[in-house]
Amino acid sequence: MHHAQIDRLSYRASPVHALDARVKLICVLVFSVFVISLPATSVSILACYAIWPFAVLVTANIPIKFVLKHILIVSPFVAVLAVSNLLYDKEVVVAVFGPWRWETTGGLLRCFSICGKFIITMTALVGLAATTRFSDLLAAMAKLGVPHLFVVQLGFLYRYIFMLIDRGYHVLRARAGRKLRRLGFGDEVKTSAAIVGSIFIGSIDLAQRVSMAMQGRGFDGRFHRLGKKRIAGADYLFAAILALYIVGLQFLGRVFY
Amino acid sequence: MHMANELLSVPVAVGTLGAAAAGLGFVCHKAKNIITSDKFALMGIMGAFVFAAQMVNFQLPLMPGTSGHMVGAVLLAIILGPYAGAIAISAVVIIQCLIFQDGGLLALGCNIINMALLPSFLGYGVYRVFAGAELFRGQIYTGSIVACLVALVAGAVLVSVESAVSGVLSVPFYTFLFTMVGVHLIIGVIEGVITGAVLLYLRQVRPDIIAAGTANTGRFSKPVAYMTIIAATVVIGAGISHLASSLPDGLEWSYAERPDEPDFESIVSNQSPAVTAVEDFQSRYSVLPDYTIRSGAFGQKATDGAAEAGAGWQSFAAVSGSAATMGLIWLGALALRKRNGVQNAPRAD
Repeated sequence: MHHAQIDRLSYRASPVHALDARVKLICVLVFSVFVISLPATSVSILACYAIWPFAVLVTANIPIKFVLKHILIVSPFVAVLAVSNLLYDKEVVVAVFGPWRWETTGGLLRCFSICGKFIITMTALVGLAATTRFSDLLAAMAKLGVPHLFVVQLGFLYRYIFMLIDRGYHVLRARAGRKLRRLGFGDEVKTSAAIVGSIFIGSIDLAQRVSMAMQGRGFDGRFHRLGKKRIAGADYLFAAILALYIVGLQFLGRVFY
Repeated sequence: MHMANELLSVPVAVGTLGAAAAGLGFVCHKAKNIITSDKFALMGIMGAFVFAAQMVNFQLPLMPGTSGHMVGAVLLAIILGPYAGAIAISAVVIIQCLIFQDGGLLALGCNIINMALLPSFLGYGVYRVFAGAELFRGQIYTGSIVACLVALVAGAVLVSVESAVSGVLSVPFYTFLFTMVGVHLIIGVIEGVITGAVLLYLRQVRPDIIAAGTANTGRFSKPVAYMTIIAATVVIGAGISHLASSLPDGLEWSYAERPDEPDFESIVSNQSPAVTAVEDFQSRYSVLPDYTIRSGAFGQKATDGAAEAGAGWQSFAAVSGSAATMGLIWLGALALRKRNGVQNAPRAD
């Protein structure tokens, strides 16, 4: 499963993996802000913005093919909106690229711009998820002031997602083994409701067992972590390179494009 | 309904992130009394349950080959109460963004508001009003269908409003709004039917869960429910009417005019002083535009060939230079990796 793959990738070792999660989270946020604020007409400058996430993924040794495949899975909604530009913006423009020059529509350029921005910001986000363990991300959120209750909630949620997804697969396989023909809508809903209901009851029972076991071991509502990571020189360097890169591209964009 | 970064402008993204953070902070503050440390595991696992519940798909009528699944926000809000439900679903939305990349990081604020905070409170409020004492099957079904309809359609309306306020839509606002609302009307009814069926199943098999849920709502009384519905209606209505009044003149094509159509009514623009200043700066200092807009009708030769050629070479330089840089980074990393050995070993700590 692709999400398990991302989880595995985050446990690798590389200079990017070693960076502080807070710095990476804020850097991705800032980078996304600058990519999104590019005008819809600037298509070619997007290639320059793609260098940063590419460099991060290559340095972290994350397979690019996996990342692109992952982005493809989450793209349908954006793809529909990008393609709708082709229908609604039919203004004729001339696009020039090196020695080539052709007439096209504004919609096509907007479509390219939306897809390009989507791929770049998503690659940056996958770069963050694939190089940061979720527990580190949670610690970063706690340090950035996210309420304790919510951080604990995210921790538990992440811990049990994969377990319940597996349970979901088991139940669905059992249904597939028993349901030999297409049912009417009423029966479909009734069966699905019973399945969802039984997963719900199973989840509540699981929660009670987990809660009792954790309290038996002295859980007081806090996650305790070994060692407190501080922002180090490498983190400052990473942030500084990103800042320089963005300033450089902004200058390039303002002056030449 | 997950919004991507590209559907928002930076001010809207930052504003909604702030609003979502404030909303979540408030909900967490209110929930402190309801969610004690022994319920932490329950809350987390309920969030995880949403992922499993979303896998259970079922055939849809009249649409062969298509299947639907439930989203679960309203179900959790009904059973756990709106505060706990909102926290559980917000966590789900954040995990979907950070781990599964479903929805952008900048759009997280919008997604939390549209898919977690709004459906939980609105859905819960509407359900309590319509389901009443939950004595009959019909009451439960009516309550859950109306609740899901209202909650999902409100979320869909907000998606449209947020994109339109951002000024990124090239699709006319009303077309986008009607498409979103139309699709979510269908999804809402299906969600409502399955939510009602799950509630009935639970009432039959484990009535204690439903009873505990009703008692666990954090004093969300009927007047509060009515107030929530009224407030949501006013906010959404005001948003749409504001957009409706500002659409014809306030929004225009962000980058071009239509010389071929002098009466062309524009759709998207950003008239804020900051944007005007930046555009002014860009127009003064930019050597050449990225691409040149035709001045004549289709089929005529463009007038400024030299400018076009210059812009073309800059675009070419940007793309080929970036490709070359990426190639160098790739080769450098390969060389370094060969020298240092494979880096795929798990971390020691």
